[in-house]
Amino acid sequence: MTRHARHRRTLVSAVSLTALVALWEIALRMGWLPSNLVPLPSSIPGILWAEVQDGIWLDVVLSSLSHYSIGLVIGSVLGIAVGMAAALLPWFDAAHSWLARLLRPIPPLAWIPFAIIWFGVTETAAAFIISIGVFWINYFTSYSAVRAIDDGYYEVARAFGQGGFTARLTKISLPAAAPGILGGLRAGLGQGWMTVVAAELFGIPGIGQRMMEASGLLATDVVVVYMLTIAALYALFDFLFMRIQRRVLRWQQ
Amino acid sequence: MAAMNDASAPVLTARGVRLGFADDVVLDDIDLDVAPREFVAMVGASGVGKSTLLRAFAGLLTPLRGDVHLSTADAPASRTWSMVFQAPRLFPWRRVRANVELGLEGLGLSRDERRARALEPLSLVGLEELAERWPRTLSGGQQQRVGIARALAVKPRILFMDEPFSALDALTRQRLQGELTELRQRSDAAIVFVTHDIEEAVLLADRVVVLAQPGNGKPAGVRDIVAIDLALAQRREQSGFRDHVQRLERHIGVATTPEEKTS
Ligand SMILES: Nc1ncnc2c1ncn2[C@@H]1O[C@H](COP(=O)(O)OP(=O)(O)O)[C@@H](O)[C@H]1O
Ligand SMILES: [Mg+2]
Repeated sequence: MTRHARHRRTLVSAVSLTALVALWEIALRMGWLPSNLVPLPSSIPGILWAEVQDGIWLDVVLSSLSHYSIGLVIGSVLGIAVGMAAALLPWFDAAHSWLARLLRPIPPLAWIPFAIIWFGVTETAAAFIISIGVFWINYFTSYSAVRAIDDGYYEVARAFGQGGFTARLTKISLPAAAPGILGGLRAGLGQGWMTVVAAELFGIPGIGQRMMEASGLLATDVVVVYMLTIAALYALFDFLFMRIQRRVLRWQQ
Repeated sequence: MAAMNDASAPVLTARGVRLGFADDVVLDDIDLDVAPREFVAMVGASGVGKSTLLRAFAGLLTPLRGDVHLSTADAPASRTWSMVFQAPRLFPWRRVRANVELGLEGLGLSRDERRARALEPLSLVGLEELAERWPRTLSGGQQQRVGIARALAVKPRILFMDEPFSALDALTRQRLQGELTELRQRSDAAIVFVTHDIEEAVLLADRVVVLAQPGNGKPAGVRDIVAIDLALAQRREQSGFRDHVQRLERHIGVATTPEEKTS
């Protein structure tokens, strides 16, 4: 895409979003939409400001971020480790493959009962649920990324005295699989963030709990404030991660 | 120890080597000695077992029968052997210099020593300027040169080369053939060079080993070993060049047709 075409695209996107919001606002003001079901867009900034002023916004965002980051780190590290081990060690692959096939289709939220039984209604429970979805994404992408490595690289390693397990792992498996592994990490970043809210709906403090509270009071404007918060935070993480990814994979571009 | 330090003792000895996969014997009764600094070319049709034999010489494959012995490296921070593959097989995630350093890792060299040892063969193949580039930004011929530099960096006693030029265009191939002839004079390595191109073998080698199948379904073996008694300079122009090529073509049994050369 040329720079000119890119600018035009940005412009079209911005204009259409603005138009949509304007239409929404007009529809409510003209009474075409029932105002108890959706909030006025123009009321959102004020509500956000109120939430921030009360200190609620920062509180719930920080709690959610803490569940999120703990779940993300645990899920990613374990997912990559188990996925790579399965791809590199045939005996481990055989030993775990049925268990993986059995557990994999179970959605993260189906673990909520056990999370509560094991950890209570605690932050640990939320982190646990988040880590499950993140785990599977990283497990599968790491496994297939390592599996896809050309055997020729390993032969080169042997030919140059780097045939030991550690040398093969650090000098070939990790860097060669890095594009896939980083792709999985990025997908997990999104998946984890989606589970955060769901994991908090049953009473663990955070964005999800605040949204449930607001919905009980039919405060749709507060709900929208946190929906936008979720979207904005995700966009931020994804942007930062993409920059890291591009730097790590600069040999590819 | 005395035998090992003997300057004329072979660097590679193969005796009665049989190679194969599962029940399928590919090569049998291979005997070969390679002298220090000698250049031995192995020619044979596609699929005759050239790569398999080279891998067995290097110890990457265990013979079904017989022995391969390499006299181990005695120079410090060097390796007994190294290899240049048909495809360059550079690590795309390492810069050119780091690719060349691969074999130097684990030899007890400092970072700076490794760097210096990598730049040396890179300048030998004329790529010192590209040391900090990523492999994907190099042409096929440049990548193959890096592959050669990587193999030379470890100062091997034996350099194995498996059809290193066959994937290159004709012009680049000719240039690299010339460079290899020059490199030989500056390196102490013996070279075992696999090719299916008889002209290339006659052009580069001191001796040409012909691998062929007897034709009765038996495994392939050494059909002939021909010494190339021509001076290295301008070898293609010498009167004996054609004779050698034609004689070897007859030995392989089939006149090499253009189709075979491209395979
Ligand atoms: N890893 C392998 N497993 C089974 N058969 C193989 C393997 N590698 C090579 N072969 C067989 O051994 C024979 C010789 O192969 P190769 O050494 O690659 O031939 P060349 O290098 O002369 O073209 C071929 O018939 C090939 O199919
Ligand atoms: Mg081959």
